[in-house]
Parts: sequence; C-alpha cells; structure tokens
Amino acid sequence: MGTQNSELRIHNSQFQKGFTMNKKVGKALVVGAGISGIRSALDLAEFGYGVTLIDRDLHLGGVLSQLDYQFPTDRCGMCKMLPLTDRDASSQYCLRKGLFHENIDIRLGTELIDVDGEPGRFEVLLKEKPRWVDAERCIGCGDCVPVCPVEIPDAFNADMGTRKAIFRPVPHAIPNPYAIDFAACTRCGECEKVCPTDAIHVSDQKRQEFNILITDDELVVRDSLKEWLEDEGFTVEMAASGPEALEMLAQKTYHLLLTDIKMPGMDGVELLKHAKEKQPDLYVVMMTAYATVETAVEAMKIGALDYLMKPFDPDVLIPKVLKIYEDVEISQGQRLEVGAIVFSGGVSYYDPTGTKDPFGYDLYPDVVTSLEFERLFSGVGPTQGRLLRPSTGQPVGKVAWIQCVGSRDLQTDADFCSNICCMYAIKEARVAKEKYGNELETAIFYMDMRTFGKSYQRYRDQAETEHGVTFIKGRVHSVTADDKTGLMLLRYVNYDGALFESHWDMVVLAVGQRPAAGAEKIAETLGIELNPWGFCKTRPFSMSQTVDADDTARQGIVVSGAFSGLKDISETVIQASSASVCASRVIHASGGSLAPEIVEQAEIKDVSSELPRILIAICTCGSALTAYISPPEWQAGLKSDPAVMDIELLDQTCTAMGWDALIESVRKHAPNRVLIGACQPYIYARKLRELGEQVGLAPALIDVVDIRSPVFTASEGDESEKDMSHNKISAEIARILTMGVVRLKSVEPSPTPYLPVEQRALIVGGGIAGMTAALAIADHGFATDLIEKKADLGGNLRWLTTTIEGDDLQALYETTFQQVTKHPLIQVYAHTEVVAAYGQVGHFVTTIENRDGEVDTLEHGVAILATGGEEAVTDAYNHGADPKIVTQKELEIGLHDHTIDTARLETVVMIQCVGSREEPRNYCSRICCVTALKHALDLKTLNPEIMVYILYRDMMSYGFNETYFTQAREAGVIFIAYTKDQKPEVALGDETDAKVQVTTFESLLGQNVQIDADLLVLATGVTPDLPPALADAFGAIRDQDGFFQEAESKWRPVDAIKEGVFACGLVHSPRNVTEAIATAEAASQRALRILAAATLPAGKVVAIVRHSLCSLCELCIEACPYGARTLDIDLEKVEVNPVMCQGCGSCASVCPNSASVVEGFEMPQMFGVIDAALVN
Amino acid sequence: MDDFEPTIIAFVCNWCTYTAADLAGTSRLAYPKNVRLIRVMCTGMVDPQHVIKAFLEGADGVLVSGCHPGDCHYINGNYKARRRIKLLKEILPQFGFDEKRLRLTWIGASDGIQFAEIMRELVMQVKALGPSEARLKMVI
Repeated sequence: MGTQNSELRIHNSQFQKGFTMNKKVGKALVVGAGISGIRSALDLAEFGYGVTLIDRDLHLGGVLSQLDYQFPTDRCGMCKMLPLTDRDASSQYCLRKGLFHENIDIRLGTELIDVDGEPGRFEVLLKEKPRWVDAERCIGCGDCVPVCPVEIPDAFNADMGTRKAIFRPVPHAIPNPYAIDFAACTRCGECEKVCPTDAIHVSDQKRQEFNILITDDELVVRDSLKEWLEDEGFTVEMAASGPEALEMLAQKTYHLLLTDIKMPGMDGVELLKHAKEKQPDLYVVMMTAYATVETAVEAMKIGALDYLMKPFDPDVLIPKVLKIYEDVEISQGQRLEVGAIVFSGGVSYYDPTGTKDPFGYDLYPDVVTSLEFERLFSGVGPTQGRLLRPSTGQPVGKVAWIQCVGSRDLQTDADFCSNICCMYAIKEARVAKEKYGNELETAIFYMDMRTFGKSYQRYRDQAETEHGVTFIKGRVHSVTADDKTGLMLLRYVNYDGALFESHWDMVVLAVGQRPAAGAEKIAETLGIELNPWGFCKTRPFSMSQTVDADDTARQGIVVSGAFSGLKDISETVIQASSASVCASRVIHASGGSLAPEIVEQAEIKDVSSELPRILIAICTCGSALTAYISPPEWQAGLKSDPAVMDIELLDQTCTAMGWDALIESVRKHAPNRVLIGACQPYIYARKLRELGEQVGLAPALIDVVDIRSPVFTASEGDESEKDMSHNKISAEIARILTMGVVRLKSVEPSPTPYLPVEQRALIVGGGIAGMTAALAIADHGFATDLIEKKADLGGNLRWLTTTIEGDDLQALYETTFQQVTKHPLIQVYAHTEVVAAYGQVGHFVTTIENRDGEVDTLEHGVAILATGGEEAVTDAYNHGADPKIVTQKELEIGLHDHTIDTARLETVVMIQCVGSREEPRNYCSRICCVTALKHALDLKTLNPEIMVYILYRDMMSYGFNETYFTQAREAGVIFIAYTKDQKPEVALGDETDAKVQVTTFESLLGQNVQIDADLLVLATGVTPDLPPALADAFGAIRDQDGFFQEAESKWRPVDAIKEGVFACGLVHSPRNVTEAIATAEAASQRALRILAAATLPAGKVVAIVRHSLCSLCELCIEACPYGARTLDIDLEKVEVNPVMCQGCGSCASVCPNSASVVEGFEMPQMFGVIDAALVN
Repeated sequence: MDDFEPTIIAFVCNWCTYTAADLAGTSRLAYPKNVRLIRVMCTGMVDPQHVIKAFLEGADGVLVSGCHPGDCHYINGNYKARRRIKLLKEILPQFGFDEKRLRLTWIGASDGIQFAEIMRELVMQVKALGPSEARLKMVI
C-alpha cells in the first residue's frame, strides 16, 4: 500500500429524513437451492435484485447438507459465502443451517411447472408441494415422532438407519419444522392427536376441498367409487340420475364429475352438455362399458376430459383421478414474473446397486458408497461419527477406497471423469486418519489421481507423507467376503500386471456424478438442451449459457453448478457466479420494470441523549414457557434494573399474528430499546430490520435472545438433567434475559456508516479474462478501464487456434475484441502498466504509465487482476538444444503456421508434467493433458500413420475431456505411465537430422523402452504473471507458486482477502479458455455487487476507534485480517473502513488502551454480561 | 464437596461453537447447565481481561471455544485466541488460579454431539478441581 490514505468519506446518512435506498429493479428465479443455487441467489440479491429461490426438497444446501467435511480445510466453511458488504441484509449465521437475506424469498418443497414469456419477462408457474405440517405452527417439540408407527430408511443418512414418516428433512436447519413423507404415511392420525400446537393435518385439507360428484344409476358402482376416492381424501357426493346431478351442480361447486353414460332418462352425454353450461370449468370423466366406448370418445369431443372403462380397477382409476386433481392443483400454482431464470439442477450420485460390477455393494454391508461414508463419519449420522463396520458394529481398522466407480467406465455409460471423486476420497482418508491416527489403515486404489485443481497436488502429497494414506495405482477387479474372517477381500491388478489380494474392514466406493433425477423434465420445461451425458448443454466458451433445440442461445435461462457439467465445490461456486452475471445481464438489458422499487426508509430516531428504556418482549411459545415467567416476583427481578421499562408476554412471535402483536406492543410502550426473548434468534434477522424501520429504532437497539433451549434440554435430557427444577429453569431464563438487558442498555446508538462508492472498475490485463470481465461490468452500465501492458489485447488467445471440442478460438478473439473496443463504457489503455495504487474498496486511486512515459491517474471502486500467465519456460529434456524438441505451445503454433511439417513426421513423443507436479512447481497445470490429447488427435487426423506416444504421470482428462482420452486410445495413441522417481530420459543423436531418443520404463514389460522420435513435445505447464509490485499495490497476496491467493479457495474463490480486489483467468489458476471466462464472469459479478449502489452500508457490528485513547501503536492495523485499518498520518488517526471491517474484534483484543472497540462487545458490556452470567 | 456444582463461563464464537451449542439444543442433547454461554463474534475478540474478570467474579472454570484451526470465519482469529490462551495459562497461577480451570477447544458447527460431550467432560474436570479460590473467598 502507498503511504497516502484514501479519504474515508463516511456518511451518517441514516439520520437524514426520508433516506432512500437504491434498490435495483428486476427479479430472478433460481431453481435449486444447493450450493450453486445459493451462490447465484446471493449474487443476484447482493446486486439488488429480488430473488425467488426454490427447491423441490424441504431443505437448503443440496448434497452439502450431508457433507460435514470439505477439503482443503477439512471442515465446513460455507458461512464465508455470506455477504461481506451490506452484510446485515443477511443473517450472520451458519449458512448450512439457514439462509436469510432480505432480497431472497426461499420456497422449499416447490417445483417449477411451466415457463412462458420471453427473456427479461418470463412468467413462471410454481407449485408448492403440500407439507401436511404447518411450518408456522410447528415448534419442533418432536412429540409426533415416537407415536408414528412407520419406520423407513433414513434418506438423509444415505438410507443407513431409519426414520419415521414424520421427520425433519435435515437435522440442523433453522427453522426446522417437521414434515410428513406422504408416500410412507399411513394416515393413522396419531401425530395429529399429540401435536400441542395443532400444526399437523394429515387429512389433506386441499384434497378435502376437491369436490367430486359421481353420477350412476347403479348404487354399487356409486358406493365403491365413493369409498375409494374418500380414502384418497377427496370429498365425494353421489347422484343417481342426470337431473339429480344437475340439481346438485346448481347448488354447489364441483371440480370433477364422474358420470355413467347409459342411464335411464337423461344419459351421460346430455348430462355433460348441461353440466358444462352450469359450470364451464368442471372436469368431466365418462364411465363406460365396452359397448359405449365410441359414445365416450364422442363425449370427449364435446368437453369430456377422459373416459374410464367398466369394470373399474382402482389401480387405474385412482391414478387417473389423482392426475386430474394434480392438474387442477397445478393450474392453481403461483405465477411469478421474473427477468431471468437460473437453473441449478444439481447432480445425483451413481448407484452401484444391481449393476454389472457393483464391487459387492448391496451384497456386503461393509461395502459403502462415499456418500454413505460421509454420513457414517458425521456427528449427526447413524453412528454419531464413529467409524464402525456396518456388519458387526466393531471399530474399523482398515479401510480402502476404490476410485472411478461409475466414472470413466464405458460399461456404465460414463465416458467422463466425475472430477470430484479423487479429491473427496483423499479428504475422507485424511479426516479419518486425523481422527484415528495409527489405529486406522487407509488406502486409495486408483487409475489416475486427478489432482488437477489449484493446490490439490500438495493436498494429495500431504495425505501421503503427513497423514500416511497409501495410494495404490491399479485396478480392482473384485470385492468378495472372506468366509473365514468376514473381511472384505479385494483383488486388484497393479500397473506391472501383477495380481494382488488384500483384506479390509470396510470398502468405500468413490461413486461418480450423474445428472439429477428429473433434470430432464425441467430442462424440457425450460426449453434447454442436454448434452450426450444428460448434463446441460452450454454454448461454446460459456459454462452458463444454455442452448435450445436449434442450438442457438436460450437467452435469459442460464445453468448454474454441477448440472452444467461435473464440478467440485470451488468450481461450482465460480461457475454459479458466472451464471449470475449472465442472468443479471438479461435482467439489466430488459430494463426491469418488474421491480421492487425504490424504498423509502422510515426516519430513525436519535436516542443517543436518552436514558435506556428497554421493553422486554417474551414469547411464551404456545404457553410452554408461561409457568416459568409469569410469577410477579420473577418479573420484578428483571424490572429491578431501571433500564427495563416493562415486560410483555406474547404468544408465538414466530407467527405473523404474534409478530403483529409485538409491533403493536412496541408502538404502545415506545421504548428506545427492545429485547425479545424467543427461540432461534437467527430467524429474526430480517424481521428485526423491518421492525426497526416500522418503529423508527436503529437495528442495533433491538436484540433477540434464545430462552427456549434451556426448557428443551431440561425436559428432554438425561436423568441428571430431568431433575432440573422449575426454579432453575426460571432462573436460567432470567439470567439469559439479564445478559441481554446488560448488553442492550449500553449499546451506543451510533448511526450505521455508509461508504461512498466510485462506480467505476479497473481491470489489469487484457487477455480473454480481462476482456470478458470488462464487458460484463460495462454491460451493466458502469465505466471500465482496461489496462494492457502489450500493444494489443488478447493475451494467449493470440496464438491459440481451436479447443479440443473444435471451437474456433480466433473467432472468439475477434468477436470479443470488437465488442470491447467498440463498447462506449470501456476505455482501453494499451502499452500501459500500473505504477502505483492506493485506496480501499469503493475508492482506489491508481497511477498508470504508458510506454511514452505519459502518466494518468484513475479512480475506481473495484480492481480486477487478470494479468494472465504463460507457458512455463524449461530447459529440461534438452529443450532449446534441438529444433525437434518443442513445447506444446510451440507445437500449436507450428501446426497452425505449418512451420512444423507434419508430412515428415513418423513418430511423435509427448512428455507430460515437465517441471510440474513436483517442487518447486508442485501443482497441476490442468490444461496440458487435454492439450496433448488435442494435438495427438490432430496429428492422427492429419495422418493416422504417425505414431504418437504420450508419456504421463496421471492423465488429467477431467470431466467430459475423458471422452477424448478414449478417442485417442481408439485412434492408436500409445500412453505410457512414468513416475516422478523414474522419469523418461532424452538423448540427442550425433548427426543433425538424427531422431530424438526417448527412453522410458514400461511397467507392463518391466523394462526400459526406447522410442526414436521425429518430434518431442514437452508439456511444461503454466506459470502466472503477477508481479509482486502489482499485487502489493492492490493489497493482493501471491501464493507460493506466484498465483493470486484467493480469500478462501472454496467459498470466495475469486476474491482477494482485501475487499474490492478480485482476480480471474490464468493469474488465478491454470485453466482453459472456457474456464477462464467463467472466472472472469465470476469476478465481474463480485465486483458488480460493490458497484451496484452509490453507497455501501456497513454492518451492525463494526469496530471503531476512540481516538482520545489511541496511542497510535498500530497493533490493531497489524491484527486486522481484512486490512480495514489504516493510519492517517496527516490526521494522526487510525481509521477503520466500516465496510471492510467484519466485526471480528481482533483489533479490540490487541488494543492496549481499549481504544479500539467493537460495537456491542465493548468492555463495560462484556463485563456486565459476565457478571450477569455468574448470577446463580 | 459432592454436591458442588461448578459455574463455567464459556466464550463461544458465533460461527462454530455457538452453532454447535444450538445444534445440541435443537437435537435435544443434554449438556450440563453449569455452562453459561457468552456468544462472541470470534474467539479472537476474547480479551484476556474477559477471562480474568470471569475468574475474579467467581467462575470455577472458563472455556474459550471456536472454529477449528484453518476454519475461522474471520481467517485467523482462532490462532490469535490460541496464542492468548497459552499466555493466560502462564499468568493464571500468579493470580492464584489453577491453569486447568481455563480451557480452549475447537468445536465445529456440525459437532453438536461433541459440544455436549466436551461440556460434560469440562464440568467433571472442574468439579474435580473443586470450587475456585475466588468463590471461596467471596463466601467468607
């Protein structure tokens, strides 16, 4: 950072009357609330759009809700995805448990039924599945569980263990109401009887409201139909003749009429005509014997929906009626108008059950899938996190992982690599070793260990060297049970061709990804195409833009997450942001009149000169707490603090009615602080903000404390807890409330600071990533400066020709170049470099200089580093000594400009991992294996007679690239594996035109082979181009390999730790063009959320400096992990950027003078709380 | 001393251990009520003065619990806490408190069961140590 400090123009605008919040206009629908859906929803919400986030499941988080551990931290960390700026718009709480953002409307158990309209103005139809348990009323007491007679496999625990038909979809969600699995429910009604809050209605209200009229002259037909349909929960009435039926239709609305055709007097067809006149919306189904089928068909022409053949089979009849019922229901679903749709369809996992080669799965309980292993290892799993053999319940001593189950396997239609299995297997082995140490033996059986992500190689190496995980390269051919020992007997062949056997307590199948069930149907609804593997088909060079049946762009409908093709979490998070920016572009372009408009904020009272007057509002939780909190002496105890003005007992503040009562009560008492005693404080985040606005109190003056848990744990705990007396619970509740009072009364009601934003972006580097980011930002209406040190834009795109898929990279370059240079909001500075930069999020000042020495100063609110990378330079294997030894880049250029004469080539050898995947460049460059495959296939296409040998360590043909690996083998390319310890050797012949002699060890032959090559091609990998001075100027950090260091590799993958600085493209990590474009789109999305508004509000909990106490020791500046603190030399003050500050309090605890404090956690407050906590 | 019920102050971080406590609560896992939770945003904000204050006011034990190393929501606050607790453990005997009365643990958000276990274990440990000196003196 420069020595100057940016001027922090902090506005205390919240006191201004009628302050208006700039809300962006527009709405989006995100379908699927897994990690990608959450990321996309948060992105769009942070940019200011209203988002409706739906999921057909009853919980958020998708598969992540089942995973407790994620690499590389081997813990969770989802909360790091929460907004950092304007962070009080969302809950500041564990994201795995719940997501609460003011702009996100979450609807669980909801499906997308229909899409109509055009990009920017879609009309979507949503259908919510009935839940049977009223989520508003359910208090989660669990009384319904023991009375439920049904016991079925627990899907959350991967079918290990059982659950009841009434259950919690996940154990940790907040709020976490019970739900009924209607497929399993016997409708016995026992749960309904015991529910204390009358939340359960097993008899389906909605079906009861569906009226069916049966008209038949035969009583027995009427009766049996009535009985069957009533069992399904419908309201059924009967008529014996046409006239009677018409009479009934005149009296009451019916939804469905089932009528016989042949009846004395008025027949069914006549009844149909008259009935339709009376009730045009009525559905009519004709009932007919064989003889009158033709009449029935005729009837359908005049308005009957369908016909049923007599005699009736309930198995035919009931589904037919149910289908009609569902259609009626669906047409009553909710319609929404949205600008764009993000489809985050997710994936499922390969199920080896009943397949050709299930490796003993489903046959032996000790063979489990990786997902089952995750559940076994989870603290809330079936074994409470202890690793026990499912067969015996004994501790596991030896566990083996088998890779590529359902991946890279043509026999299971999986000509792709699932991308995630290698890394999750390593993670599972590592966490298991961490927990059990030497008591546990772990081994991973693999073909290629695909550690193609950033830092994955080192993670793998650590697993081997530090954790003691064994890696065995080979193929397992069978898993059987050893009759004598009961252990799993694993037979495998290693790469020398030798057969081995070993015994294991448990075998984990690393199952691959598959498209999610039902994805096909939704894709059809959305009008988007799928690829040959059933995943979403995307446009060339885009991971997010979908195509329709004509292979043209399906504008406004984007795909997010693994459904766009096999991804781990960090790639998913990157791609989900890319999807958001594509969706946001459409909403922006369509002008967005669908808007949550500009919101007028209420005036916030200035209470800083008033004595605290706290109203304590206590939720009695359906009278469950009344007994503890009613005694006058109990209340008097709380009121003994003069700051407490009154106590109000309210019922069920979690319901709309209870909440209204609370607002009423606050209006009546007009306190200047409100303390709410309730349960699950975090569900109140949005409500508190609204309450504050409604009654004119700053959000910091309203707090919620949890008084419900003590009662739960006391009544449901073990024996020692059960004797916790009434008085103890009362005292506990009083103590919690007192702690809340103490904290609240000394809150200094300072206004929320706002930070002005320079709504302009600076992008350093004009390759494809920089150009893409510039376009994305400029397309949203923000000016962008694009700095390129070379004469022309384009970077590596200047020399690349086609992708392995055959897409034309030069065309991409041409189009993007034209768009960038013609864009009115993009200013390109060629031959220009950044000299210096200072400032912080919202306002950076950067000095640039061109090659003529002209200097310019740019002001901007965000910076994106897209400085790229290059092919690594090498002198290994005699590169440089002979023109027959080239790199992959030189080959690409040579093939393109024909300086390499392919006609003269007979033998080409390619060596992979030259200088890669070992120290000091111990990372996989990701693109080299695919590039080698591309060139090998190109050569084979030019001349099938050319012998191509690829010498590799692990083929990293990840994802759908695997298919090119297959093609290359089919085309006759020969692959020979080598190891880090036994590399190929290269010798040059004495004569100038002699061939290059490559010698490598062939493990199957067990000896060295020599290949005389006309051309030796070296894959040297990628090195980043991030000069330390440039990184320093923007406060970015370089990782040990010189790449940009992300704030968090999984959850904030394109952010620097310092807010407002982002990176994309090769400088971020090695990746191909399409993937680089995705990072660029993600980085621009992250930047746009800052540029969106002219001011950024700070959070409720931020650190401040009491300048009179500050000795300028600067310890706090050092301690701040976000770089939010700077020393203003002119003013002699330590300044805190309130938007960058996340309120962690590191500064407060290092400050020797208590000058640095965190609002809400100041010393007197903390001392008061400690005192209150110690009261018995 | 059989009926001695220690009072333990637990400074728990918002993101991990408080969440674990909440999970323990909603999962109906029993843990001793001797533990009084004080939620802080991060263990890195726990000032040594808070710990000393709790002991001086009569806490029989103090727990500081946050996210696992490498998992801090605020990047590195838990490492700061770890250094600080190490120092405090050196200093506490000089105030007349057994350093075993102070404990630092990492309990992740999904470790509800572990939370309950550690709380039980902690209460047993502090019970074994007997009432804190400060508390006895206050009684006198």
